[in-house]
Amino acid sequence: MKGYRKYFGKKLFWFIVTFIAAVLLNFILPRLMPGDPVAVITARTARNVSDVSAVKQIYASYAEQFGTNKSMWEQFVIYVSNAAHGNFGLSFSQYPRPVKDIVLSALPWTIGLQFPAIIVGWLLGNLLGALAAYIRKGFDKVLMPLSLFFSSIPAFAMAVILLVIFAINLKVAPISGGYSYDMIPNFSWNFVRSIITHYQLPFWSIVLTAIGGQALGMRSMSIYELNADYVKYARFLGIRDKKIVRYVFRNAMLPQVTGLALSIGTMVGGALVAEIIFSYPGLGTTILQGIKMADYPLISATTLIITVMVLIATFVLDLIYAFIDPRVKASQFE
Amino acid sequence: MKNWQRKSLGLLLALSLMLGLGAGAMAEQVVQLPREETLYFAGQQWGAVNGWNPLSDDMNNAMALTQAAGGSRISMFETLYMYNMLDGSFTPLLADGEFVWNDTMTEMTVKIKPAAKWSDGTKVTAEDVAYTFLSNIKYSTAQGNALKPFVEAVEVVDEATILIKAKLNAEGKAVNPLLVLCYIEQTYVLNKAWIQTLEARTNSDPALLKKDPGEDAVYSGPYHKFFADPQKVVLVRDDNYWGQDASMWGKLPAPKYLAHTIFADNPAGETALKAGEVDVCQQFIPNIQNLWLKDGLPISTYLQEAPYGICVNMPTAWFNLDNAALQQLPIRKAIALAVDYDAIIANAMTNQSPTFAQVPRSLMNPTAGEQAAYDHEAVKDLQWAGNDLEGAKKLLDEAKIVDTNNDGWRELDGKNLAFNACAPNGWTDWQAAMEIVADAGKKIGIEITTNFPEWSVYQTVVTAAHQDQYDIFMMWTDSASPAMPWGRIRQLLSSEFNGVEGNWSGNWGHYSNPRIDELLQLIPSEADAAKLKEYFTEAVKIYLTDVPSFSLMYRPDQFHSVNESVWTGFPDSEDGLNIPPMVMINGYGIAGLYHIELVKK
Repeated sequence: MKGYRKYFGKKLFWFIVTFIAAVLLNFILPRLMPGDPVAVITARTARNVSDVSAVKQIYASYAEQFGTNKSMWEQFVIYVSNAAHGNFGLSFSQYPRPVKDIVLSALPWTIGLQFPAIIVGWLLGNLLGALAAYIRKGFDKVLMPLSLFFSSIPAFAMAVILLVIFAINLKVAPISGGYSYDMIPNFSWNFVRSIITHYQLPFWSIVLTAIGGQALGMRSMSIYELNADYVKYARFLGIRDKKIVRYVFRNAMLPQVTGLALSIGTMVGGALVAEIIFSYPGLGTTILQGIKMADYPLISATTLIITVMVLIATFVLDLIYAFIDPRVKASQFE
Repeated sequence: MKNWQRKSLGLLLALSLMLGLGAGAMAEQVVQLPREETLYFAGQQWGAVNGWNPLSDDMNNAMALTQAAGGSRISMFETLYMYNMLDGSFTPLLADGEFVWNDTMTEMTVKIKPAAKWSDGTKVTAEDVAYTFLSNIKYSTAQGNALKPFVEAVEVVDEATILIKAKLNAEGKAVNPLLVLCYIEQTYVLNKAWIQTLEARTNSDPALLKKDPGEDAVYSGPYHKFFADPQKVVLVRDDNYWGQDASMWGKLPAPKYLAHTIFADNPAGETALKAGEVDVCQQFIPNIQNLWLKDGLPISTYLQEAPYGICVNMPTAWFNLDNAALQQLPIRKAIALAVDYDAIIANAMTNQSPTFAQVPRSLMNPTAGEQAAYDHEAVKDLQWAGNDLEGAKKLLDEAKIVDTNNDGWRELDGKNLAFNACAPNGWTDWQAAMEIVADAGKKIGIEITTNFPEWSVYQTVVTAAHQDQYDIFMMWTDSASPAMPWGRIRQLLSSEFNGVEGNWSGNWGHYSNPRIDELLQLIPSEADAAKLKEYFTEAVKIYLTDVPSFSLMYRPDQFHSVNESVWTGFPDSEDGLNIPPMVMINGYGIAGLYHIELVKK
């Protein structure tokens, strides 16, 4: 383990440096956008007010609420100290809802949609890719073009195609929402069933595209590995294929695991298209609304979450790699 | 039994007991809205509801908290009168009988209906009306800010009578009695005791008071909160609603639930309307007639033919008069003459607007009331029809604004004429209109390029006291209300807003004309109908001569389309009921809820 200390130490150092830079950028970038979000909120109360000082007063009181009347540096310090306690401030576009509430109410839907979709897509895709590389012949000839086709379909097209075919034409799936339009959330089987039914189309729209991409990647990696010298040598030695294949796929997996970690890292913002087309109540639509309305607190909070998740994912990946990739292990003892 | 087995069995029993109790509690709740008792809406609520506090402008609660001069949403909170934009009439709601002006039109007396009650059983009294007005002023709400310059006070005469005092000008006349008329049909009457509870728990701090979600608000209307989350909001009928008294509606409104699914965007709402998951839709649906003509769906609008709805305002293209080139009248007039308005109405509004041949341009909306307000003959020659390329070119040629270097663009003082035409990104009908304006410019030798910034940027620029980024840009005008057409003239032409930073009130091109300002002072208190018509006609003349802005199309206040697969009997132009197509809960439009019935009985 001692050998790993240098490796982990270096990774941890860069993790912290990147994290600090991310928080800084996270705060500054949205605030560089043109437009004044406080003015939009002022509009609601200041319509038909021709008295200049009255409008100024209304504007000032809202600016006070949001802290936009302080200097950028002051705002940053307040932001960081609040964020550390989980307080991301009040949303501009959904004032006076706290950003934390908005994110917490939307996050479970997004994670619930994305996480299983990514895992299932990854598993099925890799399985199909590996099989195609191993079996070759007819199976590969069908799978390769199919995967290419599905992975090339843009997310919005996949979502719309599924919506039109299954929801509008065949009427076997619901057209929108996280649960049935006439239900009130409660703990009953009916409600759970409704959630599952409404889950299908957004889920499959993500999975089908993911399968295509993963299958192609895994297929290429597997073919590369299957043609490697050590495989040929092992075969000549008479070792059974079943044993060789285990090593082959372990090697082929490495870049796929990287891909999986990154997918999980970005999953919070990744379902945007599916969510919008199916009116699915996740974080994707929230982020888009926030950006359109220049809602700094909301944008900063959600991009911070995404950034942190990606950082953690890559950091954990680095740690896992140390164990599963023998080349890393070897380099520690040089 | 082993120890661990006993423990786990105990845990299991406890768990099932809790679940059982929970299920028992749940059993009382409605978990699925009965389709035949629910009226579904779309196009009003975007984003989650923040609360139910009627003194806050930040609740984002469209179904329950919308106070507007064209007719407030009176599902949960009520106003003294209900405005009907079809004929400008006032129907008493909380009020009893007609309102009465004094001789000089400076004070108005309104009586309260004896039957009117709050949700807590207490009577609606004059104290409630007076205290609500005071609170609106004290806490600078949108209502308070809008009324403060025009309403001096609301006084209690006796338990069931109020006296509204208009603000007076130097001559002792009311500054604007029209706004008093707006007040009685637009501002909610709130429960004094509840406001005092709110004040107590927020220490009367305006910011805190307006942030309070007001979940315990006391209401007088037929509906109140049933459920709200980021995906939907549902109102449920209060079967003790006072309005079922014979002095009011005589019965309860038909739907038990009013539900609004929160859609991500327009297409989602439209898809749901087509699928029968939405009954009443407040969305612009292009070529809506195809839904019943081609798709055979049971969808209908207020009018059976184009324009399908009642148009009451005019999206307008404004000239930025801080731009030196646009200060040249021939340039402004030429551009306005050259635009193909028929194309805008056909493409941008898909004919859901009367054409300018049917309703010639003025300051007035197409409704009979406003059209009768001015002398059509006197301004006939000024009302251009559009797409007049020859007329536009002639104007510019006569003003010596010509293309001297033959590059295709006319010059002013040696520089090529070039402007941008702006609309917010995503507002597709407005974008289409600006493209047509740009095209018109090209045809007469003026380079106009379109620009579609995000709304958050657009509104910051347009409402600034001075701006040099947008030359020609679109904004809306106010819809029907008791203060129209005066209010629209003010919005289009009044110089009172010039120099205001964060100006949301109007005249975004910063036009200034002392005679217009004078007319705006004279019109509100003018009682002589003939004189009034003269004033309005003069205002139209000035507007069509100076062209500081020009109407691009007509538009309804609320888009109103209905799906009759579950409910039927929605208001239409031929039913003789005179119920305005105001999505069933705005102003007198709420009368529709007492007329709809189920398709299957």
